[in-house]
Formats: sequence, C-alpha cells, structure tokens
Amino acid sequence: MKLLTFVHQNQERIGALDDKGRIVDLHRAYESYLREVESNPAAYQMAAVVLGRDIMEFLKRSEKSLDAARKALAYVSQKTNDSNGGTIFKRSEVRLMAPVPRPGALVSAGKNFSDHVAEMSSKKGPAAPVAFLKLPGTVIGPEDDIPHPPEVKNLDYEVELAIIIGKPCLDVTEEEALEYVAGYAAFNDISARDVIRSENKTGIHLMGKSFPGFAPMGPYLVTADETPEPQNLKLRLSVNGETRQDSHLGYMIFKIRDMIAYWSQMGLNPGDVLTTGTPRGVAAGRKPDQTPWWLKPGDVVEAEVEKVGLLRNRIVAE
Amino acid sequence: MKLYLGLLESFPPHQPRIFTEVSGKLVDLNLACAARFAQVEHNPSSAYELAAFYFPDTIAAFLQRGEQALKALNEVVSFLHKSGSNELRGPADEKVVYEPREVRLLPPLQNPEKSFVIGFSDKARIEAMPKAEIPTGYYKLPQTFVTTGVPIVWPKFSEELDADACLALVIGKAGKRIPPEQAWDYIGGATILLDITARDVNRREGLTTNNLLGKNFPSSTSLGPAIWLKPTRKELENVDVKLSLDGSVKQEFALRDCVFTIEQIIARWSILGIQPGDFLAIGASMALQGDRLQNPAPLKIGSEVCCFSPAVGELSHQVVSSKGVRR
Repeated sequence: MKLLTFVHQNQERIGALDDKGRIVDLHRAYESYLREVESNPAAYQMAAVVLGRDIMEFLKRSEKSLDAARKALAYVSQKTNDSNGGTIFKRSEVRLMAPVPRPGALVSAGKNFSDHVAEMSSKKGPAAPVAFLKLPGTVIGPEDDIPHPPEVKNLDYEVELAIIIGKPCLDVTEEEALEYVAGYAAFNDISARDVIRSENKTGIHLMGKSFPGFAPMGPYLVTADETPEPQNLKLRLSVNGETRQDSHLGYMIFKIRDMIAYWSQMGLNPGDVLTTGTPRGVAAGRKPDQTPWWLKPGDVVEAEVEKVGLLRNRIVAE
Repeated sequence: MKLYLGLLESFPPHQPRIFTEVSGKLVDLNLACAARFAQVEHNPSSAYELAAFYFPDTIAAFLQRGEQALKALNEVVSFLHKSGSNELRGPADEKVVYEPREVRLLPPLQNPEKSFVIGFSDKARIEAMPKAEIPTGYYKLPQTFVTTGVPIVWPKFSEELDADACLALVIGKAGKRIPPEQAWDYIGGATILLDITARDVNRREGLTTNNLLGKNFPSSTSLGPAIWLKPTRKELENVDVKLSLDGSVKQEFALRDCVFTIEQIIARWSILGIQPGDFLAIGASMALQGDRLQNPAPLKIGSEVCCFSPAVGELSHQVVSSKGVRR
C-alpha cells in the first residue's frame, strides 16, 4: 500500500493511492466500509478511533490501522463512482504533504556510501554508523518549494531513501531489524555546505542541515510488504533534467538493517525516520570547480528512488 | 513567577495542567482563573472556556497567547493573594490548591521544535578558547526529556557518563532573523536543563563532527522543574546555577560568565525561526570559572546528581543501572 498525507480544503488528511492512481481519503473510505458492509451505527467515530487523527497515530496503531486501511481501500476502489463525494480525489485536486509531515526523530546518515566518502575527501569510511539529527520541522512535501536562505552560498542536494519506523524499537538485532519498518519514501537531504563548514570549525553541524524546507520527503510511504528488498533499489537525482546522482542502495557501507540495529540503541518510536545517506554526485564533490552545481533559485531538483517514488522541488529565493 | 506543568490523578493522563507556586502549594491555574471569572466578573457561564483559553494544556501554548495571558496570570495571582489561596475552590467547588506531592511534574516544555544546547566540541574547548566565532549548537530530542525525580538510566552502550548544568533561555515570542538589539524581547523565561552525555560515544562521534547517540538516549535530558517567567535582564544574567554530585558542588555559573552573549545566541539561532516554547540552553562548560572553562561532572551508578538555581528550583536525579528496568 502507498500511504500518504494530503491537504484538501485546508485540512490535513490520511490517504492511500488506489490502483488507478487516485487518492483515497482513508477516514471517509473506512467509514463507508464500516457503515455499508459491517452496518456499524457509529462508523464515523469508529473510523477515527481505529485510524487515529494523523499518520503518527496511524503508525502507532500498527497492524490494526493498516488492516483497516487495506479493507477501506479495497472497498472503495472497486466502486465505479464516488457515491459519497469527498472520498476519492484526482492527484491534481489535492496537495501532497510528506507522508510523515512531522516525524519524531529524523536521523540522517552521513558518510555511508564509499563513492561519496571518496568525493568528499574523507580518508576512509567510518567504523560505526555516522548520523546527525535534522530538525523534524524541516520536512516538506514531494512538490513543495525549497527556500534558498539568504545566508547560504553553497546549497546542495543528496538523494536518499527514508526508512519510516513502525514499531517501538530498542536494542534490536540486524536480523530482526526490518520487522520494525513501516515503510519507505524518497528523501532529499538538502545541505548548506558553507554553513556546515563554519559550524564544524568549532562544533557540531546543525543549522547547515536544518533550514526550513531542507527535507523534502515522499511522495508516499510505500509499506514494507511492498518493498521486500529495500537494499536492492536504484537512486537518481537530477537538476533541471541533468543527472547528477545515479547509484544503488547496494553500495551502502552500513546497510539498512545495520542502521536500524545501531540507532535502536537510542530507542526508536513509530514515526521516527532514518535516512540512508547519499551516493556520489553531490555539488560539493564536483572537481575541480563546484560552482556550476550549487543549487540556485529557479532550479528544479528531482530525487527518485526506484519503486518508491519521485520528489520534484523547485528552489525559490527566501 | 514560576509555572509548572503537571498531571493530577483526578484528570486524564493526556491532560497536563499548568500550576504556579503560592506559599509552598501548587495552584491549578486553569481552575483558579475560572473561579476568578465566576466570582469577580460575575460570568460563570463562560468562566471555564475563558480559563482554558488563557491556561491551555501546555506552557508553550500559554506563552503563545502573549501579553493577554500574562495579564490573566497576574490577575489570577493577585486574586489568589486577596482571597486567601488555601481556601480557593473552583466554580463548581473543584479542588484548586495542591500539596506539591499530589502533582506529578512533567518537563515544562514537551515538544519544542527547537530544543538546542549551545555547545563546544572537545576540539573547540582546547583550540577556540576563550571565544569561538559563532555559537554552534546541538539538538536534544524531545523524546529524551524527563524532569526532577525521574531516574537517569545508564545506557547499555556506554562506560562513561557525565552531566552538565545548563540554563535554558525559553522563547516567548515567534520571530525570525532577530537583530541582536531586539533579542531580549523574545525571551519569555528560563529553566534549568541537565545535559547527560555518554562521553565515550560522544568523543567517538566528535571525530566525524556528529553528536547523536552520545547525547540522545532515554533520560539524557532533564528539564524544569519550572519555567521562571519574564526575568529581568539583570536577574537572568546574574542568577546562579549549580550542579552538585553526591552533595558536593561541581559546577557553578551565571550567564554573565558565558563566552557568548544572549544577543549573539538569539541572533544566530533565530535565523531558523523560533517559536514560543523553543529553548536555547547554555551550559556550565561554556562558562568561565576564573580563566578556564568548567568540566562536566562524571557520574557513576548510584550517583545523586542535582542541578539547582534559586530562581527556578531543583532537578534531582539518581543514576540507575539499565538492568532491572522494564523495557
């Protein structure tokens, strides 16, 4: 299933994509199912309880909400017309947010592809997984604009896979790690290289990764059952149609399983997001001159993960 | 004035309440405010709704209400003093005044978007003394927050834990790219933060200029016990913050000793935008004692670590082993 969060008439809703590419409002659909199939007299209230108010509550409900979502989706998508109105939308009728618009923790891996480690002139790959926290408030939708802050000169991109945690997870092993995943989404780890450089001189980089809008995510949360081999996916990023990154998650130094097991030491919760780190091809790694590749207002960045989805974001001057 | 956030047995666990301290008791501000509206303004019908507007279920939301909520707070407090706080009951005779032990305190800020500690890396402590160019910072995940009385659980992955006392500047007003000369207007209060670090992991992460596992594990951040509302500049710069370990003082500082000014810190971090309830904490190890920086205090299992300030109160914790703690 492809789960998503969308905005319709200024309201944030949980949805799923049906096989015709339409967006199904899950609360409305499950309400119809409960009323029409199960003759539930309190269908509206029941749908709200079972699915939760937003995707974070949905994820906490784990199998129960997923099961309800599957039933709801199957029921309404076999209908030929949207008899209730307001249940099924065309993609153009709504605005997609990130599937998890406000994650709990957003843990982004660094130095996790050997070709990227080399282009960034690091001597060798790390001995243990390296990651940093991006502020959860930086997350934006798959087609939202990315503001170019006036303080930033060297704005860069990084295509990654986002791993959305679906169950509380503490000290898990590599073998069982994937059981804790709700699903996957495409991710672009927007980075202000000059700010990061100045922060790293005396401390830890934080601001350089966390300006508003620095984390486009989506377009959907593709559930884990539809992504049996998350390690076996291609990644691609282009700027104004020109390919910059073209790689494969197989080249990760610490694999998805390793990352989940390692970061579960801090305790992960449903709705927390890990991202894989990026392969080579970022602007900061261009030789000899990086200048032509820094992102500037007007640029359109497309970040794509095979079978997971495509993000298309325009850079706008803040 | 101090604001606390806490839970009462008589209210559901998802409904924290805001309290203030009057003569050693904790007063439920929402109901005290309702009592005032019902009595003084002779308006019992909307008393609860108005009280819930001024005293919602988070201190961040209270701060967001701005001047009008501060005015309501002052009115409620003078009403309490006038009517004799101990006898006060709500409009429908509800209990309003509690013994501190009847209230389960929560971290006063629950889910800020910006929960930053202004920090030095070890490298900076050596090379960048006495002044680094920019106040860098790190983010403490809200899911790591606890408050006074809650044990600090030693994480399995570390052999070396230490504690650093911080004074957190609590933002009272939303703003972005605030010029230094206006920075003071954005401070709504202050609280204490106890920053627990797994130093061995932190040192290793520092080699790649990262700062995650060593600073973010369950109970690695203690916050509270109260928000000290609207201190004057002089009060804030001069208030003492101390950290003691098993009864002996290990760190002692005031903001005036810090290597960065409040203006520099607000100007820098407001570039990202700040909201009521966000905080920027300044650690003892950024403050000079004599001519040198202080060190975080090393902990061991069984340590009693205590962080206190006369204006805010005391965070008191015991360090316990993760063994025997239910997962």
